[in-house]
Amino acid sequence: MHNTFYICRRELTSFFFSPVAYVILAAWTVLMGIFYSGAFLSYAVVSMQLARNPQAAAQYNITPTSAVLEPVFSSVTVILLFVAPLLTMRLFSEEKKQGTIELMLTFPLRNGQMFAGKYLSVLSIYLIMLAITLVYPIILSTFVKVDWSIVSSAYLGMILAGMAFLSVGLLASSWTSNQIVAAMIAFMILLATFLMEALAIAASEPLSSILRHLSVGMHMRNFIRGIIDTRDIIYLININILCGFLVLRSLEYYRWRG
Amino acid sequence: MIRVENLTKYYGNLRGVTDISFQVEEGEVLGFLGPNGAGKSTTMRILTGYMPPNSGSAWVADINVSESPLEAQKNLGYLPETNPLYAEMTVRAYLNFVASMKGMSGAGKEAGIRRVLGSCGLEDVAHRLIGNLSKGYRQRVGLAQAMVNDPPVLILDEPTSGLDPAQIVEIRNLITELKGNRTLILSTHILPEVNMVCDRVVIIHRGRIAAEGALDTLAANMQADSTIRISAVGVAGALSDKMKTVSGVERVELLGTSTGEEAHFEVHARGGDDIRSNLVAAVFAAEGKLTEIRQMRLTLEDLFVRIVSGEQKDDEETVNA
Repeated sequence: MHNTFYICRRELTSFFFSPVAYVILAAWTVLMGIFYSGAFLSYAVVSMQLARNPQAAAQYNITPTSAVLEPVFSSVTVILLFVAPLLTMRLFSEEKKQGTIELMLTFPLRNGQMFAGKYLSVLSIYLIMLAITLVYPIILSTFVKVDWSIVSSAYLGMILAGMAFLSVGLLASSWTSNQIVAAMIAFMILLATFLMEALAIAASEPLSSILRHLSVGMHMRNFIRGIIDTRDIIYLININILCGFLVLRSLEYYRWRG
Repeated sequence: MIRVENLTKYYGNLRGVTDISFQVEEGEVLGFLGPNGAGKSTTMRILTGYMPPNSGSAWVADINVSESPLEAQKNLGYLPETNPLYAEMTVRAYLNFVASMKGMSGAGKEAGIRRVLGSCGLEDVAHRLIGNLSKGYRQRVGLAQAMVNDPPVLILDEPTSGLDPAQIVEIRNLITELKGNRTLILSTHILPEVNMVCDRVVIIHRGRIAAEGALDTLAANMQADSTIRISAVGVAGALSDKMKTVSGVERVELLGTSTGEEAHFEVHARGGDDIRSNLVAAVFAAEGKLTEIRQMRLTLEDLFVRIVSGEQKDDEETVNA
């Protein structure tokens, strides 16, 4: 526990020492702002039109939460596709490249503690990024009524999906000493999980259902709509467990190969 | 304190080390010698628990490294050959991190950090980024890192490589000071360093132990013959003939003559007896004027070269057979 905390703290210090951190945080804030203001402005237009046409309003049942926040939350998953590999790429590959992993592996430290420390560091960065986006539902709630139960379900989903994405990124980073390669591998894997849904449409049963259940997008959609399904939670947590296990194997392999 | 038994490590099909066994007593400084790629780093990495061996066992502080790596690693300070450091940390923050990794906390950690900052001469740079330090200072940080928890066993892989001569002396003095009652394994291919610092050496070549023992005994064993260099002004042939008559002399070699008819000889003699005065007498008998006489000592370099090239000869013989 003690060691995990110090590794996490060291990683955070290193992260905020590099300009990459500020570029990622700035890009994230700007992109989220664009998504939010776009959704907000189009909702303003739509709600104005619907106000003149009560029949259509009753038919579409558009709420501020579904019209403004759902698209914003959906875009988080997409942006995460790029951001997760960037956040995690250096965690193991940099240590391999600099050789510092040799020292780390001779400290009285379990591989699991090293993984946990690095995972927690990048998770806390992600949570900070998510916390920034909390400002949007808060701004929205000053104008209209926001359905906070949907918002909290969506945040639970985003946290779980983020954890899964980050663990994939860590895994890719443990495979190589090149940060760019690590980021590319992680991006490919994450993209593949996204594209599975598109493949599912073309495929026949039972492959179609399997692909759909493997895709992150499908599991995310429930959370964003306010549905908390244990299947989705277990799916996303399983990705963490699988990746964690493979990272430990990868470190073990690294020791053996020398 | 440190024990290695029948250690073998393969890298794929390549042999890293083969059947290595040695022992280091408490408080002893062992020099680990060998050409590049001989297997020094491999052995050290196995001792530190960084890398498991294919067969054999290693004990550090009498703890089996494979069975309880964490316990063994607590008693260990390690400076890898490449001296990897986090460039983006300050010296103090880095030492604090390493101390925490080694399980130190609270006042003990603080005291440990202050102690190594002092003993490694790092107080002035404690708040500077490691990335901005000179190579000599980085090497000190590496040493400080290895010693922050005051471990009974220190393993230093080429601690002076890549430093300038002044820095080498600095680091060497530091190591001599820090020896104390620690058990220390030091790998190097700078041979004078071994003479100055180590009690005993293990020479490793092609993954095997080629020679082992205290420096003097190793040298004495190898030094069955003695070599003396003599320079004298006179008739070279007469000088040479007279010297050959001295008992024990096996061969006299004329190395060359310089201006003023000064001839330089190398005299090879059997046995360890000092025959210098007899040779001087021989020079006078040949009516020569002695200008220089010097007993050639078998240096560690000679020893090292003999072992390494001798092994090669053995290999060739086995190939031929």
